Amino acid sequence: MIALRNVTKTYQVSKEIAVMAVRGVSLNVERGEFVIVTGRSGSGKTTVLNLAAGLVKPTSGEVCLGDVNLWSLADREQSLLRNRKIGFVFQFPSLLPSLTVLENVALPTIFGTNHRGQDPYERAAELLDMVGLSDKLSAYPRQLSAGQQQRVVIARALIGPPEVLLADEPTSNLDEQTEHEIMDLFRDIHTQTGVTVVLVTHTSQLVSYGTRAIEMASGVIVNHQI
Amino acid sequence: MNLGQLAWRNIKGNAFRSWVVFLCAMVVAGFSLSAVMIIRGAEDSLRLALNRLGADIIVVPEGAETKVETALLMGKPVKVWMPQENLDKIARIPGVAVASPQLYLSSLSNASCCSVSEMFMVAFDPKTDFTIEPWLKQKLGHELRLGESVGGSNVFTPEGEENIKLYGYFITLKGNLTSTGTGLDQTMFLTFETAQDVARISKTRAERPLEIPANSISAALVKVQPGSDPRSVALDIMQKVPGVTPIESPNMFQTFRQQIMGLLRGMLLILSITLVLSLVLISLIFSMAANERRRELGVLRALGATRGFVFQSILAEAVMLAVDGGAVGIALACLATFLFRDLLVRSLGIPFLLPSLPSLVTLIGGGLVLALSGVTLAALIPAFKISRQDPALAMRE
Repeated sequence: MIALRNVTKTYQVSKEIAVMAVRGVSLNVERGEFVIVTGRSGSGKTTVLNLAAGLVKPTSGEVCLGDVNLWSLADREQSLLRNRKIGFVFQFPSLLPSLTVLENVALPTIFGTNHRGQDPYERAAELLDMVGLSDKLSAYPRQLSAGQQQRVVIARALIGPPEVLLADEPTSNLDEQTEHEIMDLFRDIHTQTGVTVVLVTHTSQLVSYGTRAIEMASGVIVNHQI
Repeated sequence: MNLGQLAWRNIKGNAFRSWVVFLCAMVVAGFSLSAVMIIRGAEDSLRLALNRLGADIIVVPEGAETKVETALLMGKPVKVWMPQENLDKIARIPGVAVASPQLYLSSLSNASCCSVSEMFMVAFDPKTDFTIEPWLKQKLGHELRLGESVGGSNVFTPEGEENIKLYGYFITLKGNLTSTGTGLDQTMFLTFETAQDVARISKTRAERPLEIPANSISAALVKVQPGSDPRSVALDIMQKVPGVTPIESPNMFQTFRQQIMGLLRGMLLILSITLVLSLVLISLIFSMAANERRRELGVLRALGATRGFVFQSILAEAVMLAVDGGAVGIALACLATFLFRDLLVRSLGIPFLLPSLPSLVTLIGGGLVLALSGVTLAALIPAFKISRQDPALAMRE
């Protein structure tokens, strides 16, 4: 499903200083897997996630989604592919403050998502019902708690529907109880829809939610657990 | 939801930024439209005034040029006289087709014997006149009779009365000329015969009599023969008729032209400064907004927005604000110019004519295009930069 082949990513901080965030990583994620990527801050796990989504261009190596090399595509095609096949859950509050909850969830559809002919707002309402926020359709993000906002983000990530769900530290800003609620939600979604999930976290206790765990340190994969 | 709706929601969600851009667009469009309307209104007014007079040369007493121009353009009464024999001398000069005399008179100020205070009155000779007579023949079908007059567009018979009382003499207003935006609009035109009759009656009925010096005229309007050079004729007049100044039609109202040019330069300077400041401000605001929204725009890219979409969404916001601000600015400029046109004429000391509808539509279009292109141009670089940024980096910051 997702394949990173000998991928390296170097960030040029200044003329003299370059930081190698990912060093020759190779990773295959199969369809239907729930992969948890752990590691300390600066280990390169978020960069791996961004590489998998085509948000960062690798310095060397190949990133493929299905059979397609992401960086062989033009911006328009790459964006459309991301829109149709990838759902994103971010670490930070990522809802548009000027849109309602319902509009935020339906937002990706304006970029060309194939939502199988269904009305995007109808589908968005269904997803919000699935994440337990059917009573917040007209609310604005500022009227929601952090946990509720993250549920909306998860609903938005599923609007496609996607083939892959990429989550970057989705529980880092939440209290422990909400963290578990959100992780339960990820597990339920994975079980019910069969969507491939790659979730990055620095909390190693969360690896039990996945079907496979990967640990990263200093830009390389140091441990695989199944 | 589409790109336009998303842009509109962003505008509503960023009130301060939106208001500043809106106000900039409003000021640029409104000020540029006002400036162009005033300058064009003044120029149109001068052109119409010249057409109304219809003379190739106006001969006035030496030193009275500015007074006569002010009277004709601003409606400020003037009393200037020269010997009537000058008219015969002018008429005999080679190249002169017609020389028609005029008397410049005025009603009394705040006098019970005059229903209009300090109105500029022009008496003409129907036998030689080419300014009013063609209009009279076309509109009235006959010449003015004794006791009749025509007025500029702003001359009216007082409400509830049938005539205009001047020096205790009742004059019938037979019609109004079209507006020129000049003092001619507040001027009454009457024949020599009526003027003399008013002067005669005024001796017994007015607070002060109307005095017309014997064998005197105020000005002579000259039409040159086809093929003759007005400049040579004017030079001839100057040489052969002492004590007069011939003003050629293109040089007429020179003082006002200079005033308008000065005004134009001043307005262009202010407009340029306003435009540059607005563009810099808008550019800064969009740069700041783009920086503030880096993460948000990075999220849009992660959700599948193309670079083009991000670029267009920022430009769409700029265009919407420019159109809205520009439209309000234009509406305010039109309203202010219409409501305060009299104040404008008094304070700037220039004539002014409101533009015709087709001309106004063109000016409005120009104002909108200026606001639109200015704001879009200012937003172009920030929009381009933000659309090209690395989405992952944008989201990390």
